[in-house]
Amino acid sequence: MDFLNRTFRHWSLLPAVVLFVLLTAYPVANLVRMSVSTIEFAQGTETWTFTPLRNFALLRADEVIPPAVRNTLIFVVAAVAIEMVLGLALALLVAGVSRGKGLVRTVMILPILVPPVAIGSMWKLLYNYDFGIFNQALTALHLPPVNWLGSTSIALWSVILVDVWHWVPFVFLILFAAVEALPIDVLEAARVDGATRSQLLRRVVLPLLKPAIVVALLFRTILAFKVFDEVFLLTSGGPGTSTELVTLHLYKVFFEQNQLGYGALLSLALIAAILAFLLVGRQATKAVRV
Amino acid sequence: MIHYPKIARALLFAAVFVLAAPADAQKAFADVGKQPPITLLVGSTPWYPAFEKVVGMYEDQTGNKIKLDVTPFGGILEKARNAVRGGQSPYDLMLLDTQWTIEFYEGGFLSPLKDIDGSFDLPKETLHYGDSGYWNAEKRWRTANGGKLMAYTVLGNVQLLYYRSDVLKQAGLAPPKTWGEVMTACSKLTDGSKQYGFVVRGEKGNAIRYDWMSVMLAEGGSVVKDPEAGDYTVTLNSPESKVALDQYIELLKKCGPANYGNLGQGDVIQLLATGKAVMGDLVLAAWATFDDPAKSAVVGKMETVPLPRGRTGKSGAVIGNWNAVIPKNASDAQKKAALAFSKWFLSEGAQRAFALAGGIPNRSDVFTSDIAKDPKLRWMPAYLEEMKFARQELGYAEGAQVEQIIGLRLNQALIGEMSSGKALNTAAREIEELFKKNGRKTGMLAALPE
Repeated sequence: MDFLNRTFRHWSLLPAVVLFVLLTAYPVANLVRMSVSTIEFAQGTETWTFTPLRNFALLRADEVIPPAVRNTLIFVVAAVAIEMVLGLALALLVAGVSRGKGLVRTVMILPILVPPVAIGSMWKLLYNYDFGIFNQALTALHLPPVNWLGSTSIALWSVILVDVWHWVPFVFLILFAAVEALPIDVLEAARVDGATRSQLLRRVVLPLLKPAIVVALLFRTILAFKVFDEVFLLTSGGPGTSTELVTLHLYKVFFEQNQLGYGALLSLALIAAILAFLLVGRQATKAVRV
Repeated sequence: MIHYPKIARALLFAAVFVLAAPADAQKAFADVGKQPPITLLVGSTPWYPAFEKVVGMYEDQTGNKIKLDVTPFGGILEKARNAVRGGQSPYDLMLLDTQWTIEFYEGGFLSPLKDIDGSFDLPKETLHYGDSGYWNAEKRWRTANGGKLMAYTVLGNVQLLYYRSDVLKQAGLAPPKTWGEVMTACSKLTDGSKQYGFVVRGEKGNAIRYDWMSVMLAEGGSVVKDPEAGDYTVTLNSPESKVALDQYIELLKKCGPANYGNLGQGDVIQLLATGKAVMGDLVLAAWATFDDPAKSAVVGKMETVPLPRGRTGKSGAVIGNWNAVIPKNASDAQKKAALAFSKWFLSEGAQRAFALAGGIPNRSDVFTSDIAKDPKLRWMPAYLEEMKFARQELGYAEGAQVEQIIGLRLNQALIGEMSSGKALNTAAREIEELFKKNGRKTGMLAALPE
């Protein structure tokens, strides 16, 4: 009976394994195959040539890759850090008010509901040098207009600001739920023991919120690595390479230049970077727990 | 109610139809008979509304149906690729940017039009736009000389110099004929950020590459020595190209807004339509916007002239046309139906209707017909003049990659990330590498001082 139970348990996993192979393992395996091939089209048919070193040579020679990697790292670190801090601050602030929490939560969720394409278009108008509301406001205050998307030193930060606006509510929602679920008795006990607000936050609230913070951080980092639509619509990676991100470059290689093999290699590199981050993050979390 | 016998009713209907329609209108449209419905891939471009109107006219006239898949510019190429690489194409006719068609010609994904119907030929009045519809597979080049007819032009887009006639008149200026005159006029007209003398695209990628290339051609520059003859020596980093780039950068920096580094087509149209910019280098396809009171503050005030000449008197303009192609993997019946629509669209009546709806006709006789006097079509003389010297560029398989290279390096020179000499040298070296990798006969000029 025990054997039958064990066998059934193993076989019951089969549908999930089949789905995984079909939807994940096979596409990734195909991507690996593409990344070591040159794919060409002639006379209506595609030809795959096994050229394992060619795409790596292209990667090494690609002068857009260094700025794209640098910008991606700046984008991920800056956007996620700001979003985490603001999201946490808002969660604690809203949790502290006695009325209107539901309304705040509803209003806060709105930016997440807006499609990225609409966000890109909307912010492009807001940032418009001549007709955008930001520069109109600055001009009304007798301040010089800002070249939000056309200056190499500002453009990436303008893009990060849009991402922050878009995703702070996501962090807020996760952390707000966690704050609301904090055990009141523990907080009361700390207060009775004479903990100051700062001590309460650092020694009680934050440690208790850690699991939720880690979840929000992981989700946001993965999504930040994959950001595309907003940057594509706002700057297309320009001016120069100032907002060029790995995802944007990957799109250009794959879809505009039609270099399928090299594009596949870039995709794998991006997947590897995200996996590496997750592993490092996991180890860091373990270390903190110890 | 009066009841007529069936035959009498048919005769009466025929008589009314013949008498109601003018004789010339009858012959102006090709009779294509009853056809199965077709699906057509088209971009949501500034000229789409005109095309949609003409498609509606085709449906009304013939009773044949066309399903339009209207796709944003960024998605057209991918949809077209997926269509031709799959089992059976979901599209029977695809309207593609001329630059993209080369990949489809070379890949063997399209049906030569005469393979569908041996009697098909373009009307003799059809403009050929640098033979962009022909493909010579042996030479790997777009030419009618030994090439097969693979496509026809739906929209022969080209840039023109737009200018505000009222402002220029008030300033005592004539429309500029050289790029030097554009600079002089712009110096007079520019008033800080209140009024821009001249605007043109600086955005990286296709935008700056396409717009700058007209100046480059006018100054005597080129990208590749003689690609038609198989000589892919890169000539982009010539002194002539450097003059053109320096001039282009000066125009953008001194005449337009401070966000020149990411100034795109939407911005240029907006600046001209609001009256904030006096002159602009812009594609003709955007023309209809300026005479539309709902979109423009300068209705009736905008005029066009051919793009200015270079210092040596040479003219330059790059054709950016849209071509209609029929996928090889569409069914035979669908291909015939797509070709039937094409015959109708190429006829004089359809092209007149297209022009009046805001499109650019592809027949010479429409430009010389009575409608050319219509004030709405006052761009026609400038267009015809420019078509005398406008040419196709980047007509080889590596065109898309070459565009990416040039589009990035020019933009970097514009925003000051590198000197113009370095930008052209870098782009030339990268293009040479690309050609080498693909086995082309190539080389490059001596490097410019950086």
